[in-house]
Amino acid sequence: MRRARTRRRAAAVAFAAVVPLLGGCGIQETDAIEAGGPASFQAFFDRNQEILLFFRSPDGGLSPVIRTPPDSSVFDGYVEGAGEENTDDTAEPIPTEKAVLALLGGPAKEDRAAGLSTSLPAALPGGSVKVELLPGGRVATLLPFFLEGLDTTALRQLTCTIAYSQDAEGQVVVELTGQDGVSRSGTCGLAPNSTGSTGNTPEETETRARPTPPATTG
Amino acid sequence: MSGGERSRVRVFGLRTRLLFAFLLVAAVSAGTTAALTYREARTAVLKTAQDTAVTSFREQVQLTGFSLPVRGEGLEDVLRDLARKSKPHPWVVFAEYGSLRASSGENPVSTVITPELRSAARANPRGAFERVVKDGVPYLTIAMPTVFKTSPDSVLPSGLVLYAVMRMTDEQITIDALLMAARDGALPGLAVALIPGLLAARSVLRPVRELRQAARSMGSGRLDTRIVVRGSDELADLARTFNESTGQLERSVRELREAEERARRFASDVSHELRTPLAGMLAVTEVLDEDADGLDADTARAVRLVSAETGKLAVLVEDLMEISRFDARAAELNADEVDVAEAIRNTLQNRHWTDDRVRTELPDGIRARLDPRRFDVVIANLVGNALKHGDAPVTVRLRTEAGAPGSPVLLITEVADSGPGLQPAVLPHIFDRFYKADAARTRSAGSGLGLAITLENVKLHGGTIHAGNRPEGGAVFAVEIPLHVEGAGG
Repeated sequence: MRRARTRRRAAAVAFAAVVPLLGGCGIQETDAIEAGGPASFQAFFDRNQEILLFFRSPDGGLSPVIRTPPDSSVFDGYVEGAGEENTDDTAEPIPTEKAVLALLGGPAKEDRAAGLSTSLPAALPGGSVKVELLPGGRVATLLPFFLEGLDTTALRQLTCTIAYSQDAEGQVVVELTGQDGVSRSGTCGLAPNSTGSTGNTPEETETRARPTPPATTG
Repeated sequence: MSGGERSRVRVFGLRTRLLFAFLLVAAVSAGTTAALTYREARTAVLKTAQDTAVTSFREQVQLTGFSLPVRGEGLEDVLRDLARKSKPHPWVVFAEYGSLRASSGENPVSTVITPELRSAARANPRGAFERVVKDGVPYLTIAMPTVFKTSPDSVLPSGLVLYAVMRMTDEQITIDALLMAARDGALPGLAVALIPGLLAARSVLRPVRELRQAARSMGSGRLDTRIVVRGSDELADLARTFNESTGQLERSVRELREAEERARRFASDVSHELRTPLAGMLAVTEVLDEDADGLDADTARAVRLVSAETGKLAVLVEDLMEISRFDARAAELNADEVDVAEAIRNTLQNRHWTDDRVRTELPDGIRARLDPRRFDVVIANLVGNALKHGDAPVTVRLRTEAGAPGSPVLLITEVADSGPGLQPAVLPHIFDRFYKADAARTRSAGSGLGLAITLENVKLHGGTIHAGNRPEGGAVFAVEIPLHVEGAGG
């Protein structure tokens, strides 16, 4: 009886010793593990001659595209900018009204080729956009259509385009007002590490306030 | 006497258990060490490869320029360019942007990249990797979301996610080699552990074997057996205790034997001392007996009583001396080849038991080597007892019987009476000295030593004697003596 129990105990010990030996041989699968920051590539974006438009990508997110406004004196600006070697805002940035009109113009051919689309209604011919700077880094924009009925993506497209047109870092509170008098305000919040928007934000949960853990490898 | 072989064959003997314990300890320690080393080394190998791959992939992507929106044409060339700079192993680069899918390989979409990695990269613009084993081949899949600078201090996710898929074949080979090394290190360790295990088993088993041999030797009567005490461990203590115990046992047995010897000698001396005066008394009582008729009635009765009791005393003393000789092992067998039937007839004749009280069934021609005097005592005692305590007629039967193969032929002499038989309670003690079967007749004519002397005489012949009852009533005593007719010599 005792011997049997001893034998059973010995077998358990041997089992416990062998299991870790056999259990983890070879290369095991892992979960997706975060490892460092994103890759930052060179997009050659020049705020003085180009504008950032935000379109809707097939997965529902926003994709920024760089667009050169068609009626801008690109060549002159380019020369001017190159001559000044991009020193602080000597050139005039492209007006926000132009950026919003370009956004309302919808995705271009190459944008559509990449599967980008817009949630905004088509621009009304002759419609005008009025942009007004408010104290405290706020921008008020009057839009030539009804805000009521627009989805979140449409509001975010507008907010981000206006924000990045006004500020290189997009940290501006944007107030949108439609023809119907409905108004929405919020921040773009697409940039990593930017804090969430305040007030009546169109993007409720799109805040990218994430802690950044150190790069881990497994 | 196959104890040595038995201990060697025993499955769960001390040796097996000691070896097993040593092996177990060695296995656990070697296994644990090997397993831990292996795991650490594997982690290090994988970590190096992963970190190198993730870092170099990020660096290569950062050195590449993309237009926004990303254009499908020319994208594959850019990806192939990225794939050429793979490090540490060749990788395939996949790009996902909007609905664009492109790769440096043949398929624009990888089958290895998991949805988890995709969603991790989409949800959080940070680099991520995942190890995937597909069809037994381990892959490292890296997701690298891209951002671009909108200002010197600010970046914006571009929506372009690049993936690298790298086979970890080299790492697998390295890790398999690690496993082999761990195993090749652990197994000889186990083999080496057998040696101290065997030595330990030997050091324990040798004293145990000696102890067992000593105990057996003591059991067979050699009380002077001692063990050589080696060392000062527990087994040495055991050996020392064993030696002390045997010493005490030997002393006790010696004292016991001496006491017994003294008692025997005392009985022998007493009977010797009694014999001489008794001889004188017997001579006197014979004279008195002869003259008793001339005395008055009362005196004559007293004289005859004295004479009879003296006679009994003389018989008792003779029997005592006889039994003392047996106890002192001084009794000798003066064997002679005799005709057994003739010997029995002589005995009956000498005792005047020739009338119809004693019937005989004595086949002629049975010859055996017997001590005639002792055999005479045996037969006379048994027949006398039967006549005295049982009822006539008494039957004396003689026969031979072949025993089991290899054992000698037995000469069987049965003496049966026609009395009430022996009570079962009496049977175990019937051959005891001074045992009286009939408690009421304590003062019987016998000395009380008759059957004891019979038993000793039969034993001296190498035979046995049994008492029992016949099914038809009456006690029966059977004497079985091995028949040595041929080859006994002389």
